[in-house]
Amino acid sequence: MNRARKLACVVVLVVCAMSLAANWLAPAGYAKQFREAPDAPPSHQHLLGTDEVGRDRFARVLYGTRISLLLAPAAALVSTVLAALVGGLAGYLGGFWLRLARGFTDLFLSLPWLFLLITVRALLPLNVSPLTSVLITFLILGLLGWAASARVLSTSADALRNSDFILQARASGLHGPRLFLIHVLPNLKPVLYAQFWISIPVFILSEANLGILGLGVAEPMPSWGSLLRELEGLISFREEPWRLVPLLLLIVVMTSFQLLLSNEEVTA
Amino acid sequence: MTTTTKMPMSTPAQVKSESLLSAHLTVRYPGKPPVLRGISLDIARGEVVGLVGQSGSGKSTLAMAILGLLGRQRATIEGNIIFQGADLLAMSERELRNHRGRSLSLVLQSPLASLNPALRLRTQLREAWRAHSDNNATSTDCDRAIQSALKSVSLPGDAEDPDFLRKRASQLSVGQAQRVLIAMAIMHRPALLIADEATSALDVITQSEIMELFARLNREIGMSILYISHDLPSVAGICQRIAILHEGEIVESGPTEQIFTAPAHAYTRRLMAALPQVPVRREVLLARAHAATLQ
Amino acid sequence: MNMSKPGRPAFSQFLFCVAFLSLALSAVASAQSGGELRFCLRSEPKTFDPLLVDDDSSLSIRYLTGGVLVRLNRHTQELEPDLAESWKLSKDGKQITFKLRTGVTFSDGSPFSAEDVAFTMQRLMDPALHSSTGDAFRSSSGAVTTKIIALDQIAITFPAPIAGLDRLFDQVAIMSAHSPKKEAAVLGPFMVAEYKAGSSLLLRRNPSYWKKDSQGRRLPYLDSIRLDIQSNRDVEMLRFKRGELDLINVIDSDYFDRLAASSPGLAHDAGASLDSDFMWFNLVASAPIPDYKRAWFRSTNFRRAISEAINRNDLARIVFNGHAQPAVGPVSPANKFWFDSNLKAETYRPDAALNLLQADGFHLQNGALLDKAGNAVEFSIVTNASSKPRERMAVMVQEDLGKLGIKVNVVTLDFPSLIERISQKFNYEAAMLGFRNVDLDPNGQMNIWLSSAENHAWNPQQKAPETAWEAEMDRLMRAQASAADPKKRKESFDRVQEIVAEQVPFIYLVNQNALSAVSSAVQGADPGILSPQTFWNADRITLNQTKRASR
Repeated sequence: MNRARKLACVVVLVVCAMSLAANWLAPAGYAKQFREAPDAPPSHQHLLGTDEVGRDRFARVLYGTRISLLLAPAAALVSTVLAALVGGLAGYLGGFWLRLARGFTDLFLSLPWLFLLITVRALLPLNVSPLTSVLITFLILGLLGWAASARVLSTSADALRNSDFILQARASGLHGPRLFLIHVLPNLKPVLYAQFWISIPVFILSEANLGILGLGVAEPMPSWGSLLRELEGLISFREEPWRLVPLLLLIVVMTSFQLLLSNEEVTA
Repeated sequence: MTTTTKMPMSTPAQVKSESLLSAHLTVRYPGKPPVLRGISLDIARGEVVGLVGQSGSGKSTLAMAILGLLGRQRATIEGNIIFQGADLLAMSERELRNHRGRSLSLVLQSPLASLNPALRLRTQLREAWRAHSDNNATSTDCDRAIQSALKSVSLPGDAEDPDFLRKRASQLSVGQAQRVLIAMAIMHRPALLIADEATSALDVITQSEIMELFARLNREIGMSILYISHDLPSVAGICQRIAILHEGEIVESGPTEQIFTAPAHAYTRRLMAALPQVPVRREVLLARAHAATLQ
Repeated sequence: MNMSKPGRPAFSQFLFCVAFLSLALSAVASAQSGGELRFCLRSEPKTFDPLLVDDDSSLSIRYLTGGVLVRLNRHTQELEPDLAESWKLSKDGKQITFKLRTGVTFSDGSPFSAEDVAFTMQRLMDPALHSSTGDAFRSSSGAVTTKIIALDQIAITFPAPIAGLDRLFDQVAIMSAHSPKKEAAVLGPFMVAEYKAGSSLLLRRNPSYWKKDSQGRRLPYLDSIRLDIQSNRDVEMLRFKRGELDLINVIDSDYFDRLAASSPGLAHDAGASLDSDFMWFNLVASAPIPDYKRAWFRSTNFRRAISEAINRNDLARIVFNGHAQPAVGPVSPANKFWFDSNLKAETYRPDAALNLLQADGFHLQNGALLDKAGNAVEFSIVTNASSKPRERMAVMVQEDLGKLGIKVNVVTLDFPSLIERISQKFNYEAAMLGFRNVDLDPNGQMNIWLSSAENHAWNPQQKAPETAWEAEMDRLMRAQASAADPKKRKESFDRVQEIVAEQVPFIYLVNQNALSAVSSAVQGADPGILSPQTFWNADRITLNQTKRASR
């Protein structure tokens, strides 16, 4: 393990531990409004200051990390699995199936999602607890995020289909799902990894945008998306640099994960 | 080279005339002249047959046609391929699958590309074994089969090198990789092994080692080999009979010695003329051809 | 000459002529060099025709260029004579007679007379014109007649009485009946001299403008006004700080505080505006919500309790950084005449709220409020996603009501979806929105308070009023609309305000303050709450050239 990986490992562990220990580190919770001190700078009581309605930003970052760090990868996993199934399988089967899957993903990508999501919002009940809203949000992201990855995967799988080792495997009598799972999928792993890691920050940001349609993580629950949305109106962060902490945290955690997992893949 | 001297002159008791495979076929792709035109090929049990032709002559098409991997939607195949008394062309995909890897197996040209880069050797061998194992076979059975196959191809088993099976294709030499592929191919003791340019990509020494391995497996297991190559001299050493494929047709076939000493077709003569003219080398080849034919 | 685009080149050439002419004239006429005032329009003006104005930018141009018979003083909120020296309303409220100022000419020199007023009114009321300014005068079907009594006297008669008729003329810029320059011949202090579509607009002083100051100097003092079209508020603010702009009509509280911190004296808080933010419960009988919830919402005690449980002072202080006032009711206290001064903003009384709820059978159990039947009190508030302040208010209301054991779910929706829910599907429980009030007169609120009205948000378009208090409001609103006597009208409308306070169909939250920015080089500006906030007295504004140069 090199030094960068060690550091990344420490960062991830510390962030995870802190978000898990949020109850102790920030006992006031993410929802309590300290109305006598809205928009406050960092202080002994509020390490990262408070937000516009006086909620402790440190607590919100910790709890938001917990939610986003758990659910964005979960959503990325859902979308990557879907992409592997649709794109990978189509590429592996080739011919008609490949054309069908490509047509389908193109169609899926070109759908007017804004309007469809508005319809989804209209179909969902208004009284959804914040926790349920979190699950719905990331389920939507997971179910909608696969198409672009599927296109990439279908191309890779198409190339694999014509490779010698697949021919050799078929000549050995292998076939069907087992051939796909054992021989094709492991070779798509680098592409799958890449798609997975690209999806996570995209989903974290998309979650913030879903909020505009009433589909995001509901108030008062924090998420990285909503914490980043706070930065929208920020004009000069030189005066309030602590407000950039959520953004920095996102970058640091994403980089650490990438360091950790990409190396593992090479050596494994 | 001393390959021939190592071969015992006594051969397993076999009825030479017992046919294993008898193919008569024409293969064409839509809108193009036939790739294979009315060719006939017979392989007897235990026989090593060479199929020689330039690249593009349709050698690989024939191999794929026998294995049923031509992709039936695109290629049209006329004729029949009688294998162990049944027509492969009339079989369903499921029946064909049952033959592939069990009674019919394949070794391809580039060993490193034919091994799955993402898998460990053990996984690949295990998968090849599982494709035709009984439902109640245990993993011990599997390991035993793998060890025995490795032994047959002179690769280290777990006893000699416990790490070997944990390797991936990228960690092997070309020769090792080819042996692994052969081990995979013989795991179920196939009746016919199709070696499609199996030694062409190898250096001279490895090539002769692998050829020797083929010859030995032919003797020990009694499996027939369809040895496909563009290289006439390499074929001479192990094939009892040779068929010359030229532009989709078999222009000449016969015992190896006959092909070498009295080529009938103009194309065969051209092939012979292209052989190295160093006398000694020619003598060795003839000797080998003689020996192979006698088998 | 390029004839492929018939409208624009001809118009711009014409503008060029006007510009050239006025340049020559102003050099002679303007002894006092007034300089150029600069500020931004936030969108492209849609029209230069004063009778077709519908958008904010066109409205600003009309205000600066148009001459009107009477002008509402944006400071005193009183109606003042302008092109009309005096006016008289008939007893039945159907007729208004104007005595016009004489010796006034349009910017192109053509004389102003009753004929122009008649022409303007006829054109305004022409149904084919589809003028929204004209709509205000259309109380019932029938023709509007104009009668020129003398060149300086005209009577205009409407088919039905119109309450507050005289004030409506503040919006009617008089057009010339005869000038070949049509709408480019104006009576206001400025005239359009140059228009670069998508970029800027130059107004020059109208040398024929009739007003003079107390020293007898011709108004306006300024030479010109440059209006840049700029929709980005960040850029607008930046340019203001650099001294490239002199005014910003409306700024939000964040900008205000930042400006006040860096350059105090430039940020102006004129106090509560007419705009209000409020929330309400869905009282529609057929709404797709559970019956027990409908029962809560329809209970006056419940609505009053919610109203009392909301800390309006906190909303004003935290969400708007103190630049908002707790709202009292339908009329902002800033509306000097119409506000019912007997009313006060609801104070934050969570204990009283709980008592009210208990009177209705609600009770607390493990910190959660349950109704008589044991249903946990939970409802959603929908609001528009584009408004951050409203989102924050909703979060604070969520917290306030949480203290009473009420679970509130805040749902932000895109605006079209929100409107569809509250006005067509009625598929919502509570909503939070705001009204932008431009009209001081309660007639402008008829479409809210009548039970048959579309904007009767809590239960719109009722065939017959469903409750006694709504029936009473209908009666009072009609009474104020048909009465000519302002005092009587006020009595009726005061009662409407009181009913709203008693029944709480709308829970009024805050009136946002009117915030603006005025550069120190501008003298004589008096930023107010009524549009156009900073330049309503543009004809009397001067620029301190030395201050500007030093910036």
